[in-house]
Amino acid sequence: MSASLRFEHVDKTFVRPDGAREQVLDDFSLDVLPGELVAVVGASGIGKSTLLHLAAGLEQPDAGRVHVAGAGKPRLGMVFQQPRLFDWLSAADNIALAINAAGGDVGRAGKALASVGLARHAKSYPLSLSGGQRQRVALARAFAIEPDVVLLDEPFSALDELTARKLRLLLQELWLDHAPSGIIVTHNTLEAAFLADRIVVLAGKPARIDRIIDVSDMRPRSAESPHYFDLHRDILATLERGAG
Amino acid sequence: MTSWSEAARLRQRRIILNVPRLAALAARLLPAALFCALLAVAWQVMATRAQSPLIPDLREIALEFEGIVVGGEAAVQIGTTLGRIALGLVIAFVLAFAIGLTSARNRFARAFFEPALLLGLTVPGLVWALLCVIWFGLSLKTSVVAIALGVAPALAVTLTQGIEAVDPQLIEAAHVYRLGFWSRLRNLWLPAILPFLLAGMRLAFSLAWKVVVLVEVFGLSTGVGYALNSAFISQNVAAVLAWTVAFTVVVAVIEYGLFQTVERAVTRWKRKANV
Repeated sequence: MSASLRFEHVDKTFVRPDGAREQVLDDFSLDVLPGELVAVVGASGIGKSTLLHLAAGLEQPDAGRVHVAGAGKPRLGMVFQQPRLFDWLSAADNIALAINAAGGDVGRAGKALASVGLARHAKSYPLSLSGGQRQRVALARAFAIEPDVVLLDEPFSALDELTARKLRLLLQELWLDHAPSGIIVTHNTLEAAFLADRIVVLAGKPARIDRIIDVSDMRPRSAESPHYFDLHRDILATLERGAG
Repeated sequence: MTSWSEAARLRQRRIILNVPRLAALAARLLPAALFCALLAVAWQVMATRAQSPLIPDLREIALEFEGIVVGGEAAVQIGTTLGRIALGLVIAFVLAFAIGLTSARNRFARAFFEPALLLGLTVPGLVWALLCVIWFGLSLKTSVVAIALGVAPALAVTLTQGIEAVDPQLIEAAHVYRLGFWSRLRNLWLPAILPFLLAGMRLAFSLAWKVVVLVEVFGLSTGVGYALNSAFISQNVAAVLAWTVAFTVVVAVIEYGLFQTVERAVTRWKRKANV
């Protein structure tokens, strides 16, 4: 099966403001298969978000290549830690803007909002919405463009746990409806276990894949399943071993 | 079809329904009106006590004002001055945009333009006015170039700050969602720099007014500056004040009718967001 998102022997080095060079990725390779959600976990600053930035074209690799598959120009949705909405556009217009740029039907914006439970807030401006509602709009925007690949950069880490739980379930629903491929970067190992099909544990500097854990459960999943708590403990143990 | 009486009734109903809006407008304008009234009273008291041709009373100023307004001179001279300001501002905005955009996006361009902006901010409008009168003589070019040179540096600095203040996270989001150039300009750059743009417009207008009056005083035979100079030469203090009042009224109309209306329209989302 050909990958939807492929990192091929990628090197990436950053130059710090003091001039020091820091190699984050060295000969890094990873395939994300069609319909698959891969969770990337690892210590802070290890290069998790760099992977997403490379996939989104926000950074360029020093060597190797990042390939996003898709018919014509691949469509890419991204959800950041902060919603990153345009405050001067209504919730519906924020989504319509992304749909329009992707060449889709802007009339779908309302449906996209309805899919995240915000049908009544189409005309609301982001600043009048709660943090959780804003992140719902960001999720709706990412999925409204019918993406080939969705990149999620700690999407629920700025929310309270109750809201985050609801949004994880919502993300699962959206994944079932749209079936894109994607990567979620997270510090929350329980979140990784519940949402992902595979969990990639990064360790070292430059980052290497320390371990890959398969979570072969079908969706929809129950967040209360003891299986995910076991996985969570397993990932934590791997992270501790990697850090030690 | 709606009958005349029905239309009148609907209009009346709209006026009645707009009472809160009228009250809000009154609340906004009342303090300014109160200030003007107090200033007029203070002036009248001063004029009555001084009894000097150097401090004319309100009646004398009003007569001069009536003379220049009814005779049509105010419209002609103010129109001429505003035309020069508009042309100068267009050139200043184009220059400031080009310098501001390149300075904000390119470190070399910023360092390159820095001395020019510093020089431009330091040189008083009077110097530009004198130099342009010497260089271009009695022509439209004199006022337009003087305004452009006098206004562009301050405007460029304001716009550079505005462009630099655009949230880089939103620029990344625009990149990820592949917004095209015009879409980015319309939906990201312009709304984000709008507060700076509006501040720049006000600053530019006030600077342009000061420069153009100097040019008209020194080297032109039309415009408000020329009219002020004529009144000064004939020692007609009432005429000087009448022209000042006439132009102040025009500036107030531009401020309340144009700048504040545009500001309210483009920042409507902020008020709606706070509801």
